[in-house]
Amino acid sequence: MKTFISKFAIAAAFALVSAPALAASGQVSLTGDVVQDKVVVDHGASRHVLVKPEKVVPGDKLVFTTHYRNDGKQSVENFVVTNPLPSGVIYSADGASGAVVSVDGGKTWGALETLKVADGKGGERAAQASDVTHVRWTVASIAPGASGAVSYRATVR
Amino acid sequence: MSRYTRLLAASAVGVIALASSPAFAAGTVAGTTITNTVTVNYKVGGVSQTAQTASNTVTVDRSVNLTVTSGATTPVSPGQTGAAIKYTVTNTSNDTLDFALSAAQQAGGTAANGGTDVFDTTNVKIYADTNNNGVYDPGTDLPITYLDEVAPDTSRTVFVVSDIPVAQTNGQVAGIILTAQAAAGGTAGSQGTTLTATSGANTAGIDTVFADGAGAGDSANDGKYAAKGDYTVSAPVLTITKVSTLINDPVNGTTNPKAIPGATIEYCIVVANAAGAATAQSLAVSDALPATVSYVSGFGILLNGSASGTAPSYTCSGGTAGGTYDTPTTTVSGTLADLAAGSTETLRFRATIK
Repeated sequence: MKTFISKFAIAAAFALVSAPALAASGQVSLTGDVVQDKVVVDHGASRHVLVKPEKVVPGDKLVFTTHYRNDGKQSVENFVVTNPLPSGVIYSADGASGAVVSVDGGKTWGALETLKVADGKGGERAAQASDVTHVRWTVASIAPGASGAVSYRATVR
Repeated sequence: MSRYTRLLAASAVGVIALASSPAFAAGTVAGTTITNTVTVNYKVGGVSQTAQTASNTVTVDRSVNLTVTSGATTPVSPGQTGAAIKYTVTNTSNDTLDFALSAAQQAGGTAANGGTDVFDTTNVKIYADTNNNGVYDPGTDLPITYLDEVAPDTSRTVFVVSDIPVAQTNGQVAGIILTAQAAAGGTAGSQGTTLTATSGANTAGIDTVFADGAGAGDSANDGKYAAKGDYTVSAPVLTITKVSTLINDPVNGTTNPKAIPGATIEYCIVVANAAGAATAQSLAVSDALPATVSYVSGFGILLNGSASGTAPSYTCSGGTAGGTYDTPTTTVSGTLADLAAGSTETLRFRATIK
């Protein structure tokens, strides 16, 4: 089941479906989305399908997507999407294109293979997907009326 | 279930690092919401704009998984009552559940530890390991029909207790199948409703998915799991042999004595317990003498001597005085020491031919 709640902290007004008012108060409209990555066996061949998450249990793979659209009349620049990972999921290494990640709560950023974490013995080890705390994307410019999306994959703990 | 929330913040939302919880085998507990929140910062015309956030939520559903295991066979003796087989029921679901328990006789076939099921036990009951010591304690461990409030990634010990018919013989095996079926947890002290997998359309609440494997006779993804356990009868396997030897006669003395009236005969009763059998205890031997012989009280009765040679040609020697002779019934009797597997014991006495 999917319910949709829209909340405006400034206007203190609720709209239940989409939010045309958002274009007036904000330059950019955002839509969060999550789908489940399921393997379907069809005539002996397995393939991945993305479905609405209905029965989500540990080990299931999810794809979190944020859609954006520039509703204003001016270009949006230096568009930075910062996404802390929910505690219930583990980042998938095959996860996100064009993103940098953080393994220290958002203090430092980089490609996963360049990051290190404390090994608990006074030294450091290479960071793994399970160490990721944040994902961040940067879009240099969004033209008026243009839209796009960023997404990452994760596994339910 | 998923929910979507959009939030336009008045000021930039601080980035908070979420502490990652340790990963359990059972995983995130059912009902937990996974909320993914993004924060967007951007500029328009070179001016930083108010940060925006968007989030959506997934609720983790209930994944039902469980196993039942048993260990080595329980050795039992014929006629034993209250013999216990130990089982372990493990909840690998991501939710606290009750497990309804049922025990059934295995109907032939290969038993848990490789033997073949050939008999049924009686008076089958299920007990909890109430004092959590891993051993069945009669009177302390209490009978149950279900396991109450089993937390994710925890195990409970269960005993199936039954009686062994006295007619069973050494090496016979009886299998018992214990089945645990998942039921809703949440109410301590009462068994929850039996869970069913949520089929078709999603519901607003926590859905149920059966993720269990196939056990002994149950299918995968059916919300239950069965395991075999077994008893193996360990009984003495006794053979008894009576050897008679002429000691002397009134004519020839001890040289080549013949069985003529007045001759003395030594009787030796040899009891052997086969290799691999259980030790025989309280081994009482009695021999009613025929009217044609008279018991020699001067020799008496010698118990627990040794026998050399192989059946039925034993040669007896030794033994310590004991046993009794009952004159009215002309019966010799004695109780032998505990007889271990693969060994022999004897009872010797003498009589004269009338």
